[in-house]
Amino acid sequence: MIVVPCPNCGPRNSSDLRNAGELVSRPDPDTASLTEWRSYLYLRENPAGWVTETWYCRTGCRRYFTIERNTATNEIRDSENS
Amino acid sequence: MSELDFVSPVASGALSASGGGIALEDLSDRSKVLVRAGRSTAAGTHLKVTYGHSRRRRDGTLICGSRPDEWTLIADPGQGAELLASLPDEGFVSVVDITHGRAMFRLSGPDSVDALAKVCNIDLADDMTPDGAVFSASVAKVTCDLVRSDVADRRTYLISCERSFGRFLFAAIADACAEFGIDVPEDISMH
Repeated sequence: MIVVPCPNCGPRNSSDLRNAGELVSRPDPDTASLTEWRSYLYLRENPAGWVTETWYCRTGCRRYFTIERNTATNEIRDSENS
Repeated sequence: MSELDFVSPVASGALSASGGGIALEDLSDRSKVLVRAGRSTAAGTHLKVTYGHSRRRRDGTLICGSRPDEWTLIADPGQGAELLASLPDEGFVSVVDITHGRAMFRLSGPDSVDALAKVCNIDLADDMTPDGAVFSASVAKVTCDLVRSDVADRRTYLISCERSFGRFLFAAIADACAEFGIDVPEDISMH
């Protein structure tokens, strides 16, 4: 079980939330190349270590928030609303 | 606006243990209104409750801060139109009567916390969810909105979910209550 701290609801079991994946910045749609769009949509770093990711509080406040999570240990540093 | 006749998704009446330790009732016919508004709007200022808390208005309406910038108002049956009319709608505000779309149950009694803990993964201790607390959680795998609303010091939870899950959820909670003395009718028994 991973306990994830929702900034609105407090600590929640990860089964109450949905992992929306690594946080990636959206490229400018007016200037982005096809390669950049593909990278934004499909490619992730997936490191064994600290990663900033987005979670969705599915059964609680129904808000997206970001946390820093160590994918090797599931240690979590902080959370804030997206 | 005229009120439609309400038909509950639950066919069972109130269930209670003979010793009074726990009771489960269907309150699906209560008027329920959902408000989505910024806290700076007239509606947000009028409701005065932050996420996770509730208060009772002078007319008996229970105002629940059910999510950030979202409130649920609960009142006696047939009050939907009055509730809608009682809210200021200036600005970016959405007010919807959800009476017919939500099922709602009342679980009460000293044993209610132990019964609810069997099917809900939230910490139900007094310091985490005191009287007046509002929270959303999985109850028997159904996403529900819960309000701790004690009546005369009797521990009481209002549990609401989407109407289509109502019949299952009532049966699942009744099943969790069985070990505390509730006789579950055969037509809703899960066994």
